[in-house]
Amino acid sequence: MLTYVIRRILILIPMLLIISFLVYWGLELTPGDAVSHLINPEAAGRMSAEQLNDLRESYGLNKSFIERYGIWLINVLQGNFGHSLAGGVPIADIFLDRLPATLELSFVALFFSTVMGSILGTISALKRGSAVDSGLTVVGMLGVSIPELFFGLVALLIFALELGWLPVGGRLLPSYTSYWDHVPNIVLPALVLSLMMTAGVMRYSRSSMLDALSREFITTARSKGLPEWRINLLHGFRVALTPVVVLIGFRLPVLIGGTVIIEQVFQWPGIGNEFISSVRGADYPLVMMIALFSVFAVLLASLIIDVLTALIDPRVRLS
Amino acid sequence: MENSSLNRKFDRILALENAGKLKASSGNRALSKFYNNRLAVFGLIVFSIILLTAVFAPLLTSHDPLKINLRNIAQSPSWEHWFGTDRTGRDVFSRVLYGGRISILVGLGSALMAAVIGVAIGAYTGFKGGWIDVIALRISEIFMSFPQIILVLMLVSIAGQSLFNLIFIFVLTGWGAMYRMTRARMLSLREEEYVQALQSFGLSTATICYKHILPNALGPIMVNITLSTAAFILAEAGLSFLGLGVPLNLPTWGNILNVAQEIRVLQNFWWMWLPVGLVISLFVLSVNFIGDGLRDATDPSQQG
Repeated sequence: MLTYVIRRILILIPMLLIISFLVYWGLELTPGDAVSHLINPEAAGRMSAEQLNDLRESYGLNKSFIERYGIWLINVLQGNFGHSLAGGVPIADIFLDRLPATLELSFVALFFSTVMGSILGTISALKRGSAVDSGLTVVGMLGVSIPELFFGLVALLIFALELGWLPVGGRLLPSYTSYWDHVPNIVLPALVLSLMMTAGVMRYSRSSMLDALSREFITTARSKGLPEWRINLLHGFRVALTPVVVLIGFRLPVLIGGTVIIEQVFQWPGIGNEFISSVRGADYPLVMMIALFSVFAVLLASLIIDVLTALIDPRVRLS
Repeated sequence: MENSSLNRKFDRILALENAGKLKASSGNRALSKFYNNRLAVFGLIVFSIILLTAVFAPLLTSHDPLKINLRNIAQSPSWEHWFGTDRTGRDVFSRVLYGGRISILVGLGSALMAAVIGVAIGAYTGFKGGWIDVIALRISEIFMSFPQIILVLMLVSIAGQSLFNLIFIFVLTGWGAMYRMTRARMLSLREEEYVQALQSFGLSTATICYKHILPNALGPIMVNITLSTAAFILAEAGLSFLGLGVPLNLPTWGNILNVAQEIRVLQNFWWMWLPVGLVISLFVLSVNFIGDGLRDATDPSQQG
């Protein structure tokens, strides 16, 4: 088991190095460097070429590209992610500030879509070929076809603006007294975010359940004379659910993409929101660091999923 | 009981056959299977209607999608303006029609180009194997480990915003999935006996893989093209909604939807964003139905 984990990590390292190199290269391609961002253009205009050169020297900008990449990489590994161009705030602080909101939204959406998706998918599989099944299939198709931002706008209009049941946006109101006060704020964004994923999970768990029900141990269970609900729930569902839970890891890129848009629609103060404003404001260091971070999250999730699968299913380890 | 109903079904078919009423199925089997799928046919009809209205936009509306008319601001739908006018007095209906041209171009065009690149690389490297295969696989892994929207936005921030850049970036981020799928098909197809026969005839690698094997992988490729068309249209809508997709002076579905970011517009001027949102949803739904129909029709394991 340990060798398997180590092998997976060893594959991951060159991958992360190449991606970090590409990201740094992208950063170099963007206009301006640290000096031109730190000094306002007027002051830079008054400085002589020599002074500017000295300044560049002091920041290590005259070193070769590879050297600068090495320094940058060491800094990143030490948790020094550089500074945002807007206000010169350390990027690490921005992460610490924004990440909890995004994680909270993602976990609620992930939980909701997994529960709803696997229940609906199982129902669909058990009633295969019926009107319920085809109805759910069409609903699932609608779920992946409606742009989530459009669904978000309609939900916002109906539940927040017209009915006034839920707040329009934001996370914590200035007047909040306890953590639970913002539960109404998270309902709409989390529901909208989970819609698209629910459709995916539903499809997957339907086929996974159909697969499980056609196995031989189901026939055995039936021949033992077990009641149908026991066969379906205790034998079928349990086996069908494992791949569905594993699927969580593969939904992470979809989830990250979804949060970027949904956070914007509902003004949720998370990383996605910060990412959009950094792209709009051409805040390149922040853009690149968030991109790097998201890749890291995706690769880490796939590593964890692989290890979990290997724990559950010993056949994976051997191949 | 099930058997008897099956027997009756076969009896009916036999009776039809004896009476000479059963025509021998003519034409492509996959095609006839596709036409028997009601949802797929519905998708094809809706898809064609929206596509044709976009192509023949000048015949369907006399309004210029770009013409600003400040005396005619935020009019609700009327006989003159079917979807009303927006906040600068532009006709929303004509903007939706003309916007469809660009949105469909971005979606379909990026999907086709990504398919050509992905399939060309995947077919060759998958067939050939060895170091070239490993390199292509690693490159695609790098592209695919980015969440798509993050990679697209990152590239937009480097390259700047334009229609051409957006299509280019979509192709760059989208070829990986197509490549993976083609490669996987290639790995199983290259073990077939007819391939060995061709090789023993001394045909060149390129001829074997593009002329003889590739047609057998065409089904999943077409399915993948439809699905990535849907994904790219959704992506364009999302990016333009954020104001980071196609430049705002061009009408696209996402750019029209963009105004709904303002709560005032969302609440008071439904005609500015609701119809276009419905059109996007319908179009993507129809493309997905077509993709599903194609998948069922071309999947050999489901041949009936």
